[in-house]
Amino acid sequence: MSRRATGLRAWFLQRATAIYLLLFIVFLLQQMILNPPQDFAAWQGWVAQPLVGLGLILFFASLLVHAWVGFRDVLIDYVHPTAIRVTLLTLAGFILIGCGFWVLKIIITAATA
Amino acid sequence: MKFSVYRYNPESDSEPYMQAFEVEQRQGMMLRDALLAIQAQDESFTFRHSCGEGVCGSDGVNVNGSNKLACITALADLKEPVEVRPFPGRPVIRDLVVDMSQFYAQFKQVDPWLIHKDPMPEQEILQSPEERDQLDGLYECIMCGCCSTSCPSFWWNPDKFLGPQALLTACRFLADSRDQAKEERLDKLEGPYKLFRCHTIMNCVESCPKDLNPTKAIGHIKAIMLKDAI
Repeated sequence: MSRRATGLRAWFLQRATAIYLLLFIVFLLQQMILNPPQDFAAWQGWVAQPLVGLGLILFFASLLVHAWVGFRDVLIDYVHPTAIRVTLLTLAGFILIGCGFWVLKIIITAATA
Repeated sequence: MKFSVYRYNPESDSEPYMQAFEVEQRQGMMLRDALLAIQAQDESFTFRHSCGEGVCGSDGVNVNGSNKLACITALADLKEPVEVRPFPGRPVIRDLVVDMSQFYAQFKQVDPWLIHKDPMPEQEILQSPEERDQLDGLYECIMCGCCSTSCPSFWWNPDKFLGPQALLTACRFLADSRDQAKEERLDKLEGPYKLFRCHTIMNCVESCPKDLNPTKAIGHIKAIMLKDAI
């Protein structure tokens, strides 16, 4: 990441993902309240719709990017010793990427079952 | 009227303490008058002040938890006992006097002067009334420091985050039609610290004795930066 990317880009990504997260949460709530899946098969069928599956993947990708920028902000504000900051950032990075692959696996398995 | 005032003399005190004072309240009395009355009771009590009418920006203090200019803060509006402390987050030199050098260093970082690259014209550089209007709400800052020293982002990173005062000034020169260093100014603000430590907490807006809005100015800089980047 270039030096230029660390300020403006992080800030922009945080805003952009926030908008998508908000819109998708509204969509998700509306789905779960008005038309909740009755059983596991119905849920699978719902996720298997390409638009829903894609929307979900995008939702979790946004969530992880948003969490990364937020966590990085907290560390820059409060954690000043370099060694601890780097360790925490790396740990958070691995956890977030791990969560990303995990959620991707869940969605793909559900959609293709 | 009862006062509880922060006292610290690094030459004789091992740590700071709060001292109680009582001042007779007259009508229309400002906090600065009360501090002068306290000084008459105890001449070792130290604080900065000068013009006494909210113009010089010398007597910024923390009153009942918020940063204010003592000279334009009416005693009638304050809850007793009035707790007067130095600006939070700044090294205390003595009593209410704090070291503001970091604050001035951040101000200097934004090149607070017009940069004009074209050859200077014979006469003054003219501005239309509309162009002049762009500077309203930006140029009036008296640099009292109430905003920056109430900003949590400035408390955590005063050496790297410019703080609301310097960013307001940066916006003032970005908004000036006569300035020709927009790119350089924006480049200087890049990175995660100088500008982007602002989390829109808005303590700066709350505390500004001149009713300026540094948060809005910071948002304006971000918008200019975004427009410039895409």
